[in-house]
Amino acid sequence: MPKTIQIINGDFASQQPLQLAPGIKAGFPSPADDYHHDSLDFNRDLIRHPEATFYGRVVGDSMIDAGINDGDIAVIDRSIEAKEGDVVVAYVNEEFTIKYLDLTHKDEGYIELRPANKNYKPIRIDADDDFEVWGVVLWTIKPMHSL
Amino acid sequence: MYGIIDCDNCYVSCERVFRPDLNGKPVVVLSNNDGCVVARSNEAKRMGIKAGTPYYQLAELFPGQKIAVFSSNYELYGELTGRVVDIIRKEVPAYFRYSIDECFVYLDGMEHLDLKQWGETLHKKIRQYVGMPVSIGLAPNKTLAKTASYFAKKYQGYRHCCLIDSDEKRRKALKLFPIDEVWGIGRRYAAKLQSMGIHTAYDFAECHLEWVRLTFRNIVIERTWRELNGEDCVPNEQLANKKSICTSRSFNGMVADFPTLRTHVANYAARCAEKLRMQRTVASIVGVFAHTNPFREDLAQYYNFQEQRLLTPSSSTTTIVQAATDVLQKIFREGYQYKKAGVIVMGIGPNNAIQQDLFDINAEQFEKMRRLDAVVDRINRLHGTETIVLGSQQYTRKDGKGKADVFANAIKHDFRSKNPTTRWSDIIILK
Repeated sequence: MPKTIQIINGDFASQQPLQLAPGIKAGFPSPADDYHHDSLDFNRDLIRHPEATFYGRVVGDSMIDAGINDGDIAVIDRSIEAKEGDVVVAYVNEEFTIKYLDLTHKDEGYIELRPANKNYKPIRIDADDDFEVWGVVLWTIKPMHSL
Repeated sequence: MYGIIDCDNCYVSCERVFRPDLNGKPVVVLSNNDGCVVARSNEAKRMGIKAGTPYYQLAELFPGQKIAVFSSNYELYGELTGRVVDIIRKEVPAYFRYSIDECFVYLDGMEHLDLKQWGETLHKKIRQYVGMPVSIGLAPNKTLAKTASYFAKKYQGYRHCCLIDSDEKRRKALKLFPIDEVWGIGRRYAAKLQSMGIHTAYDFAECHLEWVRLTFRNIVIERTWRELNGEDCVPNEQLANKKSICTSRSFNGMVADFPTLRTHVANYAARCAEKLRMQRTVASIVGVFAHTNPFREDLAQYYNFQEQRLLTPSSSTTTIVQAATDVLQKIFREGYQYKKAGVIVMGIGPNNAIQQDLFDINAEQFEKMRRLDAVVDRINRLHGTETIVLGSQQYTRKDGKGKADVFANAIKHDFRSKNPTTRWSDIIILK
């Protein structure tokens, strides 16, 4: 059987860093090596679907009783199905709005976007309205100190 | 098994992610400098808006009709399509990003799955996660995968994914597939085939191989013929070798003097270098073209393109701008009104497998450049593009006194959308 050598081109476009190689070092081994654990990382732990994560800035006080204030940053995940009671981002009247999703009237043919401020009225969405929940708010980040 | 996944009306779909009210409405995106239409929504296509229509003609051609118009915003398109690729690469054993809106995938080892179902689910996932509609074509080779994606896009019944996995489906698809849509057959060859009475991909696939060889004497055409007949023979290198990066623009007005033209070219070259670094590649050839306005028949016409090989492949802004400036020096002729210029970098390869030229070894200098570029990229990422540029990228101030401090002003973009995924100042407002 003839022997042939196949030349395989490497793909160097993507890189994979090696996580940990504790054996290769000079000097006294650290006793902590066996207990290695990755540091806490907000980017990894709070943002579970980076491809589906977007950010928004809250304007106004319509969600103030939910602890969401003017100037807060909302972390929005589009990969999650919105459930009853979730804080969601919806696109209504050519604007993004942040509200509670109220599905309790779904069987009666409408849903509501509920504010968390008694000075605002809920937004009623009827079944035949062109409407889509844009994303689910997972976290809000609020500035506590002006930098 | 191969797949091609491409974004439907990519630029328009990117704009719609943050403007859901524009779904179902005519939307167009303009070329750089707001020159002409480069992307159209299906509604805009149905209205009869053609690709390449100059912007100023839209109002004349479609009076009283509401058309949403955007300047191109490549920062946004690059970020959102990057998300699409990130989703895809977690689903497949291997992939190859072919262009900003197309990605080839290799599905070896996935044959046990219901691939049609897999494609439909992937479409749904990308649609939900990023808001981007894609079409997916799946077939035993790349040319047929491209064919399948044409049908996935054209007919809603496929639910965004078309699979060609039998000879019967292959024949049926090719009979309905116009020859000028076939991947790998350029406009010139398509016209030649049509003049010979070959109108569908099926007509072409049924020709004898000997005839194809003698008529065209072209390996790419022969491979296309083989792939239409079910063979898998377009090598991955054919995709990769095609790779070149081009940054070119029509000027806002005309340019006759060398210093201004050189500044434009320096900026295009710098942009090419930045793109190379973003994808961790280097280029070995730098080409430059410049030409006058072919529509102004009353003016003297000139076109020239030349290229220069770099001793060591590079992605350094300094090196690429220097090479581009050298080439421009050679092709520039006094006395013409230039309308467009561009920089093309070719011979692209990975940046961690560089062949150094024996006579160009200066490791220390090389490392210095690499570090300089890394710092510049970081600053420009943090503080906005073009915070730091080379002196040669700076335009002369309008009053002629010294250098201008705003560079992006050279490009017209009256209808540019925000960048909610790349700038904190632009994130969406939640009321």
